[in-house]
Amino acid sequence: MKPLKPILPLYALLVIGLPLAGLGYALLGSVGVVGPLAEGFTGRYWQALAHDTGLLYAAAYSLWIAVASVGVSVGLALLLVLRAQPTLRRGPLPGLLYVPLVMPALVMAFYLFQLLSRAGWLSRLSSQLGLTGSIEAFPELVQDATGLGIIGAHVLLTFPFLTLLFQAIYQESRLAELGQLTSTLGASAGQFRRRVAAPVLLRRAAPTVLLSFIATLGAYDIPLLLGRPYPQMLSVFIATKLQRFDLRELPAAYLAGFLVAAGLLGLILVLLRVLKLKVKN
Amino acid sequence: MRSRLLIFFLLILFALPFGLLGLLAVGEGWRFPDALPPAYSLEPLRGLVAADNDLLTGLGQSLLLAGAVAVLATAGGFVVARAVARSRRPGRWTALSYLPYALPPVLLAVLIQPFIIRMHLSGSVGGVLLGLLVVALPFATLLLSSFWTQRATEYEQLARTLGCTPRQALRRVLLPLAAPLLRTTLVQTFLLGWFDFGLTNVLSVGKVRTLTVQVFTYVGEANGPLAAVASLLLLLPPALLLLANKSALLRKP
Repeated sequence: MKPLKPILPLYALLVIGLPLAGLGYALLGSVGVVGPLAEGFTGRYWQALAHDTGLLYAAAYSLWIAVASVGVSVGLALLLVLRAQPTLRRGPLPGLLYVPLVMPALVMAFYLFQLLSRAGWLSRLSSQLGLTGSIEAFPELVQDATGLGIIGAHVLLTFPFLTLLFQAIYQESRLAELGQLTSTLGASAGQFRRRVAAPVLLRRAAPTVLLSFIATLGAYDIPLLLGRPYPQMLSVFIATKLQRFDLRELPAAYLAGFLVAAGLLGLILVLLRVLKLKVKN
Repeated sequence: MRSRLLIFFLLILFALPFGLLGLLAVGEGWRFPDALPPAYSLEPLRGLVAADNDLLTGLGQSLLLAGAVAVLATAGGFVVARAVARSRRPGRWTALSYLPYALPPVLLAVLIQPFIIRMHLSGSVGGVLLGLLVVALPFATLLLSSFWTQRATEYEQLARTLGCTPRQALRRVLLPLAAPLLRTTLVQTFLLGWFDFGLTNVLSVGKVRTLTVQVFTYVGEANGPLAAVASLLLLLPPALLLLANKSALLRKP
């Protein structure tokens, strides 16, 4: 193969240049320098941020959803890998865990809406069984204030993938043999799981868990279908602001987009540094 | 006993989506509080073969976009990964390739949209393709970077020493060696384009109606049966890929 000189500059232009140019455009848009109704430099959109709690609520809500979803997914995956090892090694379970990998997030959200909403299938079953008398008697499981439906959808998509990942690490790290060794040295099965297996699995899977966390933080498809108009997750909040017909709202939307993008980049840098420090220690 | 219970529970958990979506697709007049449809009809499925059917157009657009993303990203990623491996600072290029992951697809679309508009690509398949490539190309590059080790370079040099032209070395040595990884990258980048909704929805401004966009539209119109048919169509190619090669679905860069 001949070396192609302009490949890397072209790659940089597309993959790094375009997003960074977008970030710069958003920053300039937030101070009124660019955009359809640009009137020259102004700091009023940044000043207005102090009185607008929408972005802050969206950030806090997204953080809650991401922590809960990834936390529950990691917990379930650990439980399966550490407690159901024989079942995971044979039989149909490993094959079953691949099934959610073929589901687009939007389809999962639509399915959960049909299953868990007040007119959904579970509500119908409970009505037929005489457990609830009317639609209103069924608990609000989707489009609820705490985001139960959104968390459930993310858990259903993430925990099978994490289980397969943990299982691969379990086998690669020869944790079964380490378990026998710790048992010979007098440790109980619980001590092996808590002090040896779980830390090894979590440390080696940390970058993937971090990526899952960031992906959930910026989720769009699932909260768009299963979320409420307020509070919204970050991606939905920004996209909704940008798609409004009032062009005067564009600078505020650019500001939100810039802050979220810069915040996520900063968060990733901090988390990567923390992970590196932990791995070194 | 406990293991059988676990398998039974997960079987129900993961089979239920297919069952419920199937019932929704063929159920007629299915209203609360009926647990099962009072009647069944194949009308939404029959409509699929009608020439003016939106779903069929959406299926075609989704296949076209995801296919183009897969081919371009895999071919591009193969070449870029080689250039990265032979650059002075491969580690820095690898780190920079993670940048598009830091941003959610919708946010990325929002950020690059002004430039897509200036390039007169807004609302076109080309604009959506460009947006998807911003995510898929670095993904493919990161996946394929594991191929360009010292050993691959040595094989290439050996083939050249034995009289191969650069093209022959690529066709007869490098591509066969990289075939398994190239297949995995094709599958993964295809799914990346196939599953996408947010980026396509923002950059297409309602004009490129892929299957995911149609699912959302039908849900908005409270048209459950057509949303279910579109959802089942969305599940079909990934399910076939899963049957063909499940390990290709799991690998991450």
